[in-house]
Parts: sequence; structure tokens; C-alpha cells
Amino acid sequence: MPVSSPPPAPRPTPTDAFPTSTSQTQAETESILLQHIPSNADAKQGLAKQSHMQFLVRSLVQGFPSRYTSQDASQPWLLFWTIQAFSALQVGLDPGNKQRIVDKIMAAQHPDGGFGGGPGQAAHLLPTYASICTLAIVGRPGPGGGWDQINRKKMYDFFMSLKQPDGSFLVAHHAEVDVRGIYCLLVTATLLDLLTPELVSGTASFVASCQTYEGGFSSASQPYYAATPSPSPSPPPSSTSDSTTSAKHARRLLEKPRPPLGEAHGGYTFCALAAWVLLLPFRETEGEQDAQPKIDVGNLLRWLVMMQGTEIELGGFKGRTNKLVDGCYSWWCGGAFALLEALGVGGAGSSAPPAGPSSGEEEEWDDMDGKMVFYRVRFAPDTQAARLIDTLFNRKALQEYILYAGQHPAGGLRDKPPKNADAYHTLYCLSGLSAAQHRISVATSRREQLRKAWVAGASQDTKISESTLPEEVRMKVFQEALAWTEEEGGSLIVGGTENRVSLIMFFAFTRRMQNATHPVFNLTITHSEGLMSYFYGQNLPPRAK
Amino acid sequence: MPSLVSASSTSLQEEPALYAERPEWNDVTPLSQYEDAAPIAPIFYSAEYKDATDYFRGIVKTGEKSERVLQLTESIIRLNPAHYSAWQYRYETLLALDSPVDVELKLMDELAVSFLKTYQVWHHRRLLLMLTRKPAPELKFIAASLKVDAKNYHTWSYRQWLLAFFNDDDLWAGELDFVDAMLTQDVRNNSAWHHRFFVVFQSGLREGETDRARIIRRELTFVKQNISLVANNPSAWNYLRGILDTKDLPYSRVEEFVRPYALTTHDSTTDLVDLENPPPPPGAQLPCPAAIEFLADIHEKEGGKDRILLASELWRSLADEHDMIRKKYWEYRIREALKRVK
Ligand SMILES: [Zn+2]
Repeated sequence: MPVSSPPPAPRPTPTDAFPTSTSQTQAETESILLQHIPSNADAKQGLAKQSHMQFLVRSLVQGFPSRYTSQDASQPWLLFWTIQAFSALQVGLDPGNKQRIVDKIMAAQHPDGGFGGGPGQAAHLLPTYASICTLAIVGRPGPGGGWDQINRKKMYDFFMSLKQPDGSFLVAHHAEVDVRGIYCLLVTATLLDLLTPELVSGTASFVASCQTYEGGFSSASQPYYAATPSPSPSPPPSSTSDSTTSAKHARRLLEKPRPPLGEAHGGYTFCALAAWVLLLPFRETEGEQDAQPKIDVGNLLRWLVMMQGTEIELGGFKGRTNKLVDGCYSWWCGGAFALLEALGVGGAGSSAPPAGPSSGEEEEWDDMDGKMVFYRVRFAPDTQAARLIDTLFNRKALQEYILYAGQHPAGGLRDKPPKNADAYHTLYCLSGLSAAQHRISVATSRREQLRKAWVAGASQDTKISESTLPEEVRMKVFQEALAWTEEEGGSLIVGGTENRVSLIMFFAFTRRMQNATHPVFNLTITHSEGLMSYFYGQNLPPRAK
Repeated sequence: MPSLVSASSTSLQEEPALYAERPEWNDVTPLSQYEDAAPIAPIFYSAEYKDATDYFRGIVKTGEKSERVLQLTESIIRLNPAHYSAWQYRYETLLALDSPVDVELKLMDELAVSFLKTYQVWHHRRLLLMLTRKPAPELKFIAASLKVDAKNYHTWSYRQWLLAFFNDDDLWAGELDFVDAMLTQDVRNNSAWHHRFFVVFQSGLREGETDRARIIRRELTFVKQNISLVANNPSAWNYLRGILDTKDLPYSRVEEFVRPYALTTHDSTTDLVDLENPPPPPGAQLPCPAAIEFLADIHEKEGGKDRILLASELWRSLADEHDMIRKKYWEYRIREALKRVK
């Protein structure tokens, strides 16, 4: 094929000569996206790091316009989205601005534990996650640094006050149950060493019950209770159960039915899967294998790959079946594949082509030698070997969606053209880009290092609960969370090194900065390490070369 | 209860816009958000919003639960329906005052339409319904809001919650007709498909539904007919898989139905209409990747070296031609299946 011939126009999604409103909005979106496919190699757009940075700095310094009033109850999120996007762009902050951010976050801590959407607002699981993650990036131990001013005991009590008999949690008092809240709670509890058996009991079962027939997860499930607490054969579902108040009577939760409320959804699926992964260290300590809750990992994988749009959608991800692609699902769906690997799906070796010659796809592999910091990425010596460590989704196409459709010409990233950029989509497009560029997995060698260096009984502790975690499990939580490691040679950067986000930086020969995005927390690995080693009272061994 | 509805747009104009200017609020000390005069990353609130939230913080501090708190929280909610603390405090106030729930529900009818996409509007409704315990009129209300936004996640999960929570036979009675109506409007509406699955398979057995073999036949016929209407509809294919998976039925049960959808051309040799296996209509764009995938799954599940090789060929055709974006996934399926034959 001559180099100059344009690629064939991608196929529109079939409508089977039967248009409906879904196929019409789909077609409209496709015609817009089609205009964003570069006509030739020269027109290919790079990642406009500078203008995205300016977009973020503008809101940080000058503030957010009044339409962001809708985010008034999400102020820690605005900070998290902005600051974590800086991390992805490898931008650090000066100490003065760090302090101002710490101060603003700490003003949202509720006197009775947890963080709210702003000062004087009620505590809520979602801003609690955003606050703790922001503190992981800009905070520090000591007076005014934020870390020592987190009231862990009260936060734990707040968490327990939200707990429901089916293992779920309300997101706030009198509020709804959903798996986003559970994700936020488990991340926070993992980072701050707040996990206890009583906190997580029943939670894995709840998460599992949210998986729908499609394979993805819904927002929540509805518990049914036996009409009487007797352990006799289950009577039909009771109509008197109340899911949002804690059990006043000892009602017995029925294992079935526990229907998912709402269809499979990308955001909930990420949260459910990440929660599932965070609960793994508890599994071996619970009863027999048969009694353990299960999820259908094969069906989940299928649903996730089906969420990736086709060529005409530039390979972006959608959040539900028959809905439109949207940049934020680059992370919620694209980022979920690394989590699946933690469950043994995909991973090294599993995506190599079964037989025959490679189909000659162009992949750009870039070496990083000779840049400002001393870093380099070793890459696999031949394409065949490189494929051994490839992902199960189309990481090349996802990067194209983000680069060609996700970037707003005036800076910031977005859902899709012609929409405006916002802080939320800027972060989740960048995190998704990182997930598509790099491969992060739980490294056995790192896990082993962490195990050897573990100091038992060391912690920040004020006693938070009577229910205490066996030291073995506590170590496991720490180890599993921090064994995530970027695979050298696993990077695939569309458009060349200039587009790289979240690189590994090597310095001083022994200490390596892992700037890649942690697949569970959506923090850099370095920030995750900093916060966790502090709260678990551990010294991290240097990463072996 | 005039105060509950007093913040409607007409009556608001008669009152001073700001709480700071209202004499009856003199006794409340407004609390501004930050002690720091210039916090980082500020939001530029309107004067109205800043005023109302300053008074709200003042109220939260004193713990007052009174009629005027209902007015204040309503003002905030109208300006920012995602202000969950205002909702939470409002709910506590309603309880403390033993306020008439039907009045509140009326206000919610109005707010739900304006703020369809916020969690809190729908959750507050749930809380109210748990107090009134009169779910029947809700179904109509939900149907009406789905007319505005047919795939609204909160609306659908609210409907599912309502059905499951009250679990009243009269409530369930019309659900399949409702799904039919939604799918007639748009057969690609995945929320409606999910709702059908929820009603038929996941929410317990109701009278008339206990003959499961009949129900499965009914559902298979339903989904096949819909696939024969729009062949490339992932929602319908997922539903078909869902039925078989949840009942542990072999995929091969529908092999005869699926086969023509995986062909490249329309099969014109049969002129007998088989109601069990409705063929792809003339407008269908074949082959349908979902059908190819389904056939491959049949082969894989049947097992044995020959069937696995047949499955691999189908996956290969998806990887190289019919569904190239998912190449890596189809190749993974081939590898995994071949591992099991060796
Ligand atoms: Zn989005």
C-alpha cells in the first residue's frame, strides 16, 4: 500500500435500516468524531500538556466560574481532579500552594469525622476520598501538614455509622447506598490503616450482588430480609424491609434475591471491581471457599471490552451498552483492565497472538534515553515479545480517542467534542491515557521485598476499634496495595515520547520515583507509598532494579 | 402549609432576595465559608447563593429545625440541587416538625423534572416514600420522567427500588407492558432491557410466574423477535445471554436461531416462517458480530478439539475482519480455549 493513500473510512455502527433515538444520537456523534480523525500522519495531534496545565492552573489560581456552583458540595473533588491531573502531567507545586490546598481540605473535615464537600457541610464518603487523596499529594506529617490532623478515630466511627446489614454503606447519613461510596471508603481505610474485620464484613458479598447479567456492575443492590429472624427455610421476600436504616430487629438477610438496582455502568463497575480487589486480603481468612462471594470475571471482562467503541468512535469507551463514548470512561473502563489482572485475567503472556505472523500493525515504541532527568525505559527487543505484555483492550485506539477527540483546543480535556473541558474530564482522560500507555501490575518481587521489610505492630496508632485486624492481614493489605509496579518495556506511547504521561523517573541510581498511576487509588504510586508507609509506620525498601 | 411552597418563583419576587435583608432572619448569624479571605481555587458564587449558604452554615451550627429552615434549604436546593447537606438537613427538619409529606412530595414533583440528573432529588423521594408508603402513584410519575430522559440511571433505579421495596403484586402487575412500551419507543434502550431482566429474573417469583419453563420460552421468544427486528443490538444479545446464563441453559439451545445472523448474506432458501427462529429481516446488516461471537461460545462450551477449532476460526474472523477493535480480546479467547485442549 502506498504511504500516501488515506486509510479507509471507518464503518458506521449498523442501524439495520431501523433507526431509533439511540441510533440517531449515535450517528450524530459518529459524524462529529469522524471529523476528528487526522487526515494524515502529519496532522496527528500531540498531547497539549502546556495548554492543559494552563487550563488547570487558571482555575487553581483565579478560581472556578459560577457554573461550578454545582460543585460547591464537591470542593475536595475540584482540588483532587486538578492536583492529580498535575501529577499525571508531572507538574509539582510550590510549598506555598501546597499549604493553601492542605488548609482548604482541612477546613472540610467534619467535627464528627470524615470530610464534607466544604466547610460546614455534612461528612460524606465521596469528598472523604477526594480529601485524603489530595492530602496524599500535597500534605505531610507534622503541624499544619494535614496528615496528623486527620481524625482517624472519628473517621472510623463515621464509617461504622454508615454501615448497613447487607454489608453496604450509606454515602452519608440519610443518603443513598452505592458502590462509589464503598470504593471511596475502602480506599480511604486502606490508605490510613483503618481496616478492621467489622468494617468490611459482608461488603464483598454486597459488591458481588451488584454484578448484572451483562457482566458490569450497577450502583447498588436491594436487600431482602426474611420476615422472621428464624433460620428456617426462606419465606418469600418481605415487603417490610428497610434498606436505609440499620437493623432495628435482627432480620435475616436473604442471599437471594438481591437484585442490582440499575444497569451495568462503567463508573460503578470500576468502583465495584476496585473494592473487590481491596478486599482480596480478607478472603483467605474468611470461612470455606464455597461460602465466599463470587463474581463472574469472564463476563466482566467481556462487558469491559464491549464498552470500547469501534474505529469510527476512535476507540473511546462508553459507560453503558448502547450509549455514547465519553472521555472519562477511559479511566473507569480502560483503567479496570489492570485490576482484572490482579484477579488473574489477562496479564503477561495472555494476549500474545496464538499463531502465525503478526498482522503488521504499526506500533510506536519509544526509548526515553537522554532526557532531563536520568530515566529510561527498556523496551522489548522485538515486537513479538512486546506483545507478550500487551493489554486486552485496544490501548492504541484509546490513546487516539483521548488525543484526537478528548482534548479541547483551548486546553483541558473533555467528554467528547464539541463539549467544554472540565476538571473532572481532564483528570479521568489523563488517567485513562496513563492506563493505556503503561502497564502496571502486582509484582511478586516487590511483594516479597515488602514482606521482608515489614515491621510488625508499628503504626500511628490511637486505637480505633475493638475489632482489630490480624497482623498478617494488615501486612497483606499493605503489601498488595504497594506491590503495584510499572512494567518496564510495557509502555506504548501513541504519537511519541512527547505525549507520555506518568513516566517512571529513576534517580540517584537506587531510588526510583514511580510516577505511574496506581490502578486502585488513582494516585501516583509514589504518593500512595508516601501516605501508606507513614500511616502503617513502615520504611519502604528501595525498589530493586 | 404555605411556608413549604413559598419559595415558588412568584412569591420569591415579593421578598427581599437575600436572607441578610430579611428581618425575620436577624437572629441568625451567617457563617462565611472560609476564615481565609482568599482560599485557593475559589468558586465564584452568585450573591444569592453565598447569602443562602452562609445562613445555612449558621443554622447548622445552632442546630435549629424550624419552618424557616425548610424555606432556606429549598432556596439552596433550587440554586444547587447537588448540595447534599441541604437535603440531609431538610429531611431531618421535616421529621422534627412532623411536616406533611404529601406537600413535600408535591414540591419534589416539580424539582425532579428540573433536576433529573441529581442523586439527591431521587433519594429524597425514596425517603419520603418510606414515610408515605403509597408507592402506586409513583409508577406514573416515573414513566413521565422517563419520557424526558429515557435512559436516566437514577430514574430507573428508583423504579426498581420502589418495586422491590414495596414488593406489592399490584405494583408489579404492569411492568412487562411498561417495558414493552419503552422498547417500542426505542428497542436499543438498554435501561429498559435491564429492567425487564430485573422484573423477570431477579426480584423473586410472583403469582403467574412460577412455571419457569414457560417463562423462559416466553423470554426467549421475546428476545429473538427483537433481534429479528434489529440484528445488531447489543442490548438484546446481552439479554439472550443473560437468560441462558442465569438459568444455566446451554447456549446451543438457540444455535439454530443464531446461525443465519452470522452469515454474510441473507439466506433466501427458506420460505417457511419458523416462529421459533425468526430470520434476519432484509434490512439487517450481516454478518452480525454478536452472532459470530455467540456461535463461537456455543462451540467452546460444547468442547472437544474440533469444536474449539471451529470457535477459534470464528474468533479469528472477528479479530481480523468483523470486530478488529477488539483484536486483542479475540486473540486472548483463542489462546485460552486452545490451552484447554492441549
Ligand atoms: Zn464523562
